[in-house]
Amino acid sequence: MTRMLHLLCLGLLTLPVWAGPGTLIKDEDLKSSPSVAAARVAALAKGSNVEILARQGGWTQIRAGGHTGWVRILSVRANTSTGSAADIAALASRRDSRVVAVAGVRGLNEEELKMARFDAQELQSMERYRATAADATGFARAAGLSQRRVPYLPAPAPAGSDPNAGPNAWGGVQ
Amino acid sequence: MKRPVRTVLALVLTGFLGLGPAQALDLGSALKSILKEKIKPKDSQQTLDTPPGTQQQVQPAAEKPRDQLLKSLLAGSTSQADEVRIGQRIAGNLLGAVPLVRDDGLQRYVNRVGLWVALQGERPDLPWRFGVIDSEDINAFAAPGGYIFITKGLYRRLNNEAELAGVLAHEVGHVLRRHHLKLLQQSQAIAAVGSLLGSKFKSEDQLVQNIIGNGAEVVARGLDKDAEYEADRIGVVLTARAGYDAYALPAVLADIGHVAQGDKRVSLLFKTHPHPEERLGRLAEAVDSHLDDVPAGQSVAGRFYRLR
Ligand SMILES: [Zn+2]
Repeated sequence: MTRMLHLLCLGLLTLPVWAGPGTLIKDEDLKSSPSVAAARVAALAKGSNVEILARQGGWTQIRAGGHTGWVRILSVRANTSTGSAADIAALASRRDSRVVAVAGVRGLNEEELKMARFDAQELQSMERYRATAADATGFARAAGLSQRRVPYLPAPAPAGSDPNAGPNAWGGVQ
Repeated sequence: MKRPVRTVLALVLTGFLGLGPAQALDLGSALKSILKEKIKPKDSQQTLDTPPGTQQQVQPAAEKPRDQLLKSLLAGSTSQADEVRIGQRIAGNLLGAVPLVRDDGLQRYVNRVGLWVALQGERPDLPWRFGVIDSEDINAFAAPGGYIFITKGLYRRLNNEAELAGVLAHEVGHVLRRHHLKLLQQSQAIAAVGSLLGSKFKSEDQLVQNIIGNGAEVVARGLDKDAEYEADRIGVVLTARAGYDAYALPAVLADIGHVAQGDKRVSLLFKTHPHPEERLGRLAEAVDSHLDDVPAGQSVAGRFYRLR
């Protein structure tokens, strides 16, 4: 119960995986169908409150300002703090069980990592689990996964003033 | 972080070597020549504290004559073999602090998924290895040469294989772009100046130890924020190339964003990475319309290996 209240107070945001209210995190065109080529239904401003209805690939269907349409999924965050009672309850109980399970855990800390001693045996057993390329490829095929050609994403132009930002800071983007 | 250090180095070199500002700018070659003077191969048979019980197949970085390693690191031209040795050392140290989860099926599963993702990048020939480590901390780590770890705490939060692929792909991105190796090269240069001043590093052994740092501490060192955003972009792309749902990594980030800031299980992650909200915002900008033509990928929830 306390945990649930906690969630409610924090105003947590997530990717829109379930129906419910959300917020637009950037200016977007509301499209009539999940495609860039689709007609624009309305122009929405960053920060708009929206109702999330569905997902299809990289698109999510929303209702905003009396219009229904599609925007890119990364442009919307579901606002779990005002989600339906069922969503919140499901979320809270899911977290609760985990919280109980790990009560008292303090997490990895730097001191512990600094003091770590080389463990050859453990490294050896890690070696045992290595997959071969053929093995990994066969396993992927078995799940129906097929390779797609997707170019690397360029770094977006820095909105701020950091001259270090950008593709060259870490050796370029291929 | 980088900037002030460079400035200090430049000042130190200017002061101590009587170099003009223009010469001091060429730090790499200046330090290289210093090292040539400082580090003679007189005791090259001496190695780092090679742990007892080290077996044939697992040779720590230490078995390489350290001077050579040091010089190549400094020159920014570390060979793949050296990179793997450094990673091996770090991985062995990390496993000394946190052992693998005792579940053969889980470890094999993660290696198959991880390698499939890594094969989508430009360094398919690295000896990629993946492991789930026995910690409730919510985190994942990469060491040079292709050593990737995910904690049990993070693994437990995942909902499907695509999300696992997304997390591993972010770490693979760090290795592809040699982010941690570059970090070590930087601190190594600092160590060289430290020894030059004769203040902090009394012996060359200490200097070499300083390349990797203490234990597995390097994995707790934060990278440049841009390196993290780059790893996120690579993570999304590799996930998509592998045929998975490209939005699986963002989904994990959104979930991690739920964990309260004060929760000890995320303190290391939040210390070394920008907040998930920030990362998601950057990803939204970077992805923009670029994935519009990529067909929807798969989640592969059915065979996802659940922790016992
Ligand atoms: Zn990272």
